[in-house]
Amino acid sequence: MATIAQPQQDAIPTYDEVTRDIAATLGKPKPGYFVLLGIVLVVLLIGAIALMYQVRYGLGVAGYRPPVLWGVYITTFVFWVGIAHSGTLISAILYLFRSAWRTSVYRTAEAMTVFAVMTAGLFPLIHVGRIWYAYWLFPYPNQRQLWVNFKSPLVWDVFAVSTYFTVSTCFLIVGLIPDVAAIRDLATGWRKKLYKLAALSWRGTDQQWRHYTRAYLYLAALATPLVLSVHSVVSWDFAMSIVPGWHATIFAPYFVAGAIYSGVAMVVTLLVPLRKVFNMERYITVRHFENLAKLLLLTGLIVGYAYGVEYFIAWYSGNPFERASFWNRAFGEYWWATWTMILCNGVLPLFLFFKKIRTSIPALFVLSLFVNLGMWFERFVIIVVSLSFEYEPYAMGHYTPSWVEFAILAGSFAWFFMWFLLFAKNFPTVSITEVKEIIPMPRKRRLHE
Amino acid sequence: MNRRRFLKVLGVTGGGGATALSGCSTDNVEKLIPYLVPPENEIPGLATWYASTCRECPAGCGFHVRVREGRAVKVEGNPNSPINQGKLCSRGQAATQGLYNPDRVRAPLSRGDNGFFEPITWDAALARITERLNAVSGDRVWFVTGNEAGAFDSLVSEWLAALGANPSIVYEPFGYEAMRHANRVVFGSDSIPAYDFAAAQYVLSFGADFMDTWLSPVEQTRQFSEGHSYDSGRMGRYVHVEPRMSMTAMSADEWIAPNPGTEGALALGVAHVIVRDRLASVPSDVSRIQTLLDRNDPASVSGVTGVSVATIERLAHEFTAHSSLAVAGGVGAQHDQAHASVAAANILNYVAGNVGNTVTFGADINPSGESSYASVASLVDDMAAGRVAVLFVHGADPAYATPANLGFAAAMRAVEFKVSFSRFLDDTAMEADLVLPDHDPLEQWNDFEPRAGVYTLQQPVMQPVFDTRQTGDVLLALAAQLGGSVAATFTAASYKDYLQARWQRLQRDRRPFDVFWTEALQRGGMWTEPGERAVRLAAGAATVAEGTWPQPSGEQLTLIAYPSPALYDGRGANRPWLQELPDPVTKLTWNSWLEINPVTAERLGIADGEMIEVSSAHRTVTVSAHLYPGIKEDVVAIPMGQGHRWFGRYAGARGVNVLDLLAAEPTEFGGMGHFTAVTLRNTKDYEPAATPAGRSRQMGRGIAQATTLAALAHPEEQHEEEHSEHAAPVPEHIEEVLDEWQEAQYREWKQRGNYAAEDLPRWAMAIDLSKCTGCSACVTACYAENNIPTVGEKLMRRERGMAWLRIERYFEGGGDEPLEVRVLPMMCQHCGNAPCEPVCPVFAAYHTPDGLNAQVYNRCVGTRYCSNNCPYKVRYFNWWDHSNENDAAFSFPDPLHWLLNPDVTVRSKGVMEKCTFCVQRIRGKQNELKLSGESLQDGDVVPACQQTCPANAIVFGDLNDPDSRVRAMATDSERGYHVLGSLNTRPAVTYLKKVTNSAD
Amino acid sequence: MKREPAGVIATFRHVDAATDAIKALKELAYKDFIVYTPVPNVEVAAAVGHKVSPVRVWTLIGGLLGVTTGFAMTLWMSYDYPLVVGGKPLGSVVPYVVIGFELTILFGALATLMGVAYNAWRTNQRGGFDPRFTNDTIGIFVPCAEDRSNAVEQLLTKNGAEEVRYET
Repeated sequence: MATIAQPQQDAIPTYDEVTRDIAATLGKPKPGYFVLLGIVLVVLLIGAIALMYQVRYGLGVAGYRPPVLWGVYITTFVFWVGIAHSGTLISAILYLFRSAWRTSVYRTAEAMTVFAVMTAGLFPLIHVGRIWYAYWLFPYPNQRQLWVNFKSPLVWDVFAVSTYFTVSTCFLIVGLIPDVAAIRDLATGWRKKLYKLAALSWRGTDQQWRHYTRAYLYLAALATPLVLSVHSVVSWDFAMSIVPGWHATIFAPYFVAGAIYSGVAMVVTLLVPLRKVFNMERYITVRHFENLAKLLLLTGLIVGYAYGVEYFIAWYSGNPFERASFWNRAFGEYWWATWTMILCNGVLPLFLFFKKIRTSIPALFVLSLFVNLGMWFERFVIIVVSLSFEYEPYAMGHYTPSWVEFAILAGSFAWFFMWFLLFAKNFPTVSITEVKEIIPMPRKRRLHE
Repeated sequence: MNRRRFLKVLGVTGGGGATALSGCSTDNVEKLIPYLVPPENEIPGLATWYASTCRECPAGCGFHVRVREGRAVKVEGNPNSPINQGKLCSRGQAATQGLYNPDRVRAPLSRGDNGFFEPITWDAALARITERLNAVSGDRVWFVTGNEAGAFDSLVSEWLAALGANPSIVYEPFGYEAMRHANRVVFGSDSIPAYDFAAAQYVLSFGADFMDTWLSPVEQTRQFSEGHSYDSGRMGRYVHVEPRMSMTAMSADEWIAPNPGTEGALALGVAHVIVRDRLASVPSDVSRIQTLLDRNDPASVSGVTGVSVATIERLAHEFTAHSSLAVAGGVGAQHDQAHASVAAANILNYVAGNVGNTVTFGADINPSGESSYASVASLVDDMAAGRVAVLFVHGADPAYATPANLGFAAAMRAVEFKVSFSRFLDDTAMEADLVLPDHDPLEQWNDFEPRAGVYTLQQPVMQPVFDTRQTGDVLLALAAQLGGSVAATFTAASYKDYLQARWQRLQRDRRPFDVFWTEALQRGGMWTEPGERAVRLAAGAATVAEGTWPQPSGEQLTLIAYPSPALYDGRGANRPWLQELPDPVTKLTWNSWLEINPVTAERLGIADGEMIEVSSAHRTVTVSAHLYPGIKEDVVAIPMGQGHRWFGRYAGARGVNVLDLLAAEPTEFGGMGHFTAVTLRNTKDYEPAATPAGRSRQMGRGIAQATTLAALAHPEEQHEEEHSEHAAPVPEHIEEVLDEWQEAQYREWKQRGNYAAEDLPRWAMAIDLSKCTGCSACVTACYAENNIPTVGEKLMRRERGMAWLRIERYFEGGGDEPLEVRVLPMMCQHCGNAPCEPVCPVFAAYHTPDGLNAQVYNRCVGTRYCSNNCPYKVRYFNWWDHSNENDAAFSFPDPLHWLLNPDVTVRSKGVMEKCTFCVQRIRGKQNELKLSGESLQDGDVVPACQQTCPANAIVFGDLNDPDSRVRAMATDSERGYHVLGSLNTRPAVTYLKKVTNSAD
Repeated sequence: MKREPAGVIATFRHVDAATDAIKALKELAYKDFIVYTPVPNVEVAAAVGHKVSPVRVWTLIGGLLGVTTGFAMTLWMSYDYPLVVGGKPLGSVVPYVVIGFELTILFGALATLMGVAYNAWRTNQRGGFDPRFTNDTIGIFVPCAEDRSNAVEQLLTKNGAEEVRYET
């Protein structure tokens, strides 16, 4: 006899419970929420002021010291783009693989993706010397009759990142429609009006579902290669140059793995408190965290392997510049950054081999923080340390960031969390519809009678 | 009370002062073309060139001043000048920054009752002086001038004579007293002979930094590179003997570091061997000094100098094997016993038969500029004793350029009335009662006689920038006011008349004077060949001093105060270009430093950049340590030039004045002793050095490559090719594929747009490292030509200097093996396959049809990817707005911005910039030819760096021209190489390996 | 906005009941009835028996449009204002693949959205609605005239509808 037909109601919630539990998270926020939001806004303001200061007086206010002309800004850009990757991975790729556990985590991951791209997108602007001309990177008909240089990886970046932003935003919105409709039908007052508008007159009719499911499938199918492409393109910003330590064919897969790695870590970082605050234990279970942990472990191992290969090839190539560059990474002025990165990304994830760690939420949370830190340092090491030690011995220099860069870095986190906080209180952070989908509908007869 | 406050007060006191500071009398130059009706020769957009003379040091090089719309914008060597033949050093290039210096005295100043300067009218000022002069008797009037060899000199003497005053005192910190003294003793003539470095295949220098500052550095650099550099299998050999490796010594094939101040003994030792072994046809009268030579046998000399007997013997044989030249001077001839060194070198030259060949009397250098430190010292006594009533100071800054213990400034306060003619408020002017600013050399009529028979002219090239007056005119005006016999002495109405009267006397031919005069003006002067004067060994030659510098004992080290190649004796310190110019040896900028050998430093527990308290018997200064392998153990050195108390915003209160440490007493030969015994104390404070230099070792990357004469002579023999595995060449077959591919690309471009044009040139450069001395004149020339901003010490600490062209300096060897220094001018290589171009998203960097790697500032967004991808790191980013007067990084305070080259953009904040191969000159010449219809000849286009290079190391031209010089050098299979060629960037700059002529 | 048509609304708790009702309706040749489900459901979809949504065609066209645009734009622009960089061919196809790819995805995704919007609008169904339908209840709306409503109500109830009501 199949238990699926009549599941234990206490274990599996009914559709109505799902709707109400999740809708409950949108209730009136507690004061703590506003305190948090306030802090975030203050930090954001500080970052904004730092940026204005930099625009007025020039990039000199940042810590740049030739030959290191890319610093914290590009590091942070790559960091956020990386964060942005797990979202679409979980929602699109796992969707294609029909893995059921994604349903209760993918909405958070997807929102995170969109906000991370929004954050990352700021940094190329902050980074350039003449931010007021940044739009010149787009190919638009102009008075100078000049087009952009499509051979430049930076132009590829412009296309990749903007495409990624557009597509992942569409994906998020499309996924939200049925949920918003469900909330609309519960809500009252001004909220009802808002959601009525947002629901685009969704009713869940047979025709709507017919087109909707198809569209969602194809969006997923398009998003999947996009995820892989975006960070490959970002990695080519470096791989296409001739800088020792950058010019490596492993970069694309290496960066993609790293991106997913950092993204999943960020998902964990966000889900743990969210689950507590919204009492989502029923929907986001330890099993979900364990799956995320496994994903962490896998990508972590790939990243660790990439580190190894980088050093091996540097030695095996026999190229003196490569060798020197990597020697400098490990034992030069920046050894501390390198070893932080190796410890956080290469060693710590190995603990995930133990089920005890995988299933202990506090442990995962701490680990995820370390991975986030480590991944930021990975980009720092790749970018700054390689640049500080290139071909010309006479032109080698040591770079230390200035307060402006740190302020803007902090501001970027504030910017990201501001969006996430606003989202969490106004839209379901767990997908109502998809959670329902994995709960079978009640039936009169048992199956196969 | 600091400089700023002083200027503030000056500005506030009297509205006139305020306006004077904010630049009055500039109305006529505020307009773009400062003429109501432009004269015929003044075509807007076209430069006018005036011939004049460089007065930045006593060498007296001639230069041409480029004037655009009535403003001097650049100086370039005068090709007609027999001294520098079209070349200039950094200091010469910076002459315009003296003219437009924002700290110039903009109007006459007199000290008010409150002790501060207040503006005063010229008439009032002259009246005050006249009144004074009438009041005091002539013998209480003194006049100190700098090295003025010419009309001004004689005017001053006549003027003083008419007043019945004492003869003028000439003060040059480097007056060559020791040389004159030694020449008098050995040859009976106290003039300085001409040294021919070009004819000498073997140069033996005893401390003479003849390419830094000594005598006539530009001329000597040119001669040296002629005589020494590698040319088709032949080259000279140069051995330098000095405890410190100066910039000059960096070009030496061998550097011998004897005990400080024992060069003389070594010279005598070598002479001893020559006479003993009859290595040369020794003149008979050498017998006079036989005993002297006998006393200095190699063994004993070796004991004194610390140089091995074998070396001494070898030097003697080498010295006589070729036409040779021994020189002693520079800072090596500035210690208490320096006259002994010079005398010894003279004797060495004499016994080797060089006198009359490479050393010739007659065309004597700096004939009338006989200055002496001793006379200044005695003047100080007179002043202190109140025997001086009126003191005039012109063209000298003795309050700064004498040891603090001499107390010149203090003594000046005892003088009732002090008048300074200084253009700047230097340390001496700050003690004066009256400051009557002289014209800048570029604004005045004058002449100068740098050597017997060479008369150079100065003419005003533009309207005076400020309300200044030529001192010559002031003196004449005073004479007129004094009336009586004084007035009667002078017939000339103006200094120009006085000058022309003198030149009428100089005129040899029968032509009308104005024809002669105009021609002289155009040529830049008049050159005659004075007859050679034979000299014999003087009777008293045997009595020459043999002393050596007494080696300090115990914890004490020998300190050497040497002239800075950029700032000289300090007169260049208020030129931002020179302050920011990395010292050719240490690569430090904007400050003073203490050079100390790493071994000694380790012994004393001193690390690079630590602030060291240096104490001599006289004073104590605190200066940051710089570990330099090119200085002998237990010897330390501090460059002169910094440590002004005043002298404007760039020089004032910067670094330390090393002269403070020196003894005040004049030496036996009447000079200043530049050696002193010091003790060091490490304060443990740390100050990061302001230097663009990253690492001083090549890490075996073959950036600056070198080979030996032997290796070139016998290529068939296997000489281990240095850096071979690093400079791994691209394999032959790959090379072919690449070439074909390149060709295919070329054909494709040829169909399209600008690239479709026919017979385009391909601009390229070649640099001969066997000529380059690292003097860095090209760097300053590049600043001047391309409007490169100076960024100041704080930003230099972050390597944010903007110099498009830098001289990289690397050390090889050191420790047990001999130390070798390699220098390499590094600018944009204009690669054929430029890595910087494809990564630019907006085509700001692209390749022009004629092979230039262009950077379009207006397209640049500032992603800085190009610089990351440039293996040579020759792209420079505008971190700040150097052209915005409201920003801290503003580089062109009024009127400094007047020297901006109108042909070159001033770059804005946030864009990348780099060497353009002086594209403005290329296009300018091309347009010129288009108008005249002629075709481009090789050598028509000359970038600023090549133009000024005293060693002729740089060649620029068209690679597509089969018989261009650059083509020949670029295809030099013997020595030609590309930096980092293995990256297949196809640079347009070819370097020719340095060649060392090692001892055989 | 024009009024919704009158008809019978029935709510179902059990999915199999709903499918029975749908089948029955189809046997009686009812066409334009509407089935509301809180989540997409294969059984219901099968029972209603629509053809596969045409959205996928939109996606395909969008993608193809993207890739052609990508390559056409890059190549044309390279030759419109020829500038040589790094000694590379003016129109280098290899790097342009990236642009081609990204535009494929971008246009594909946007086309899909347009597709779903257009088709949903074209096949828009009007009829009675109950808020529970987006929560946990399956609903069927059968448009019919007042007089035939009893027959429909009986048919639906017979197939296990929990509530049936007629809305005008």
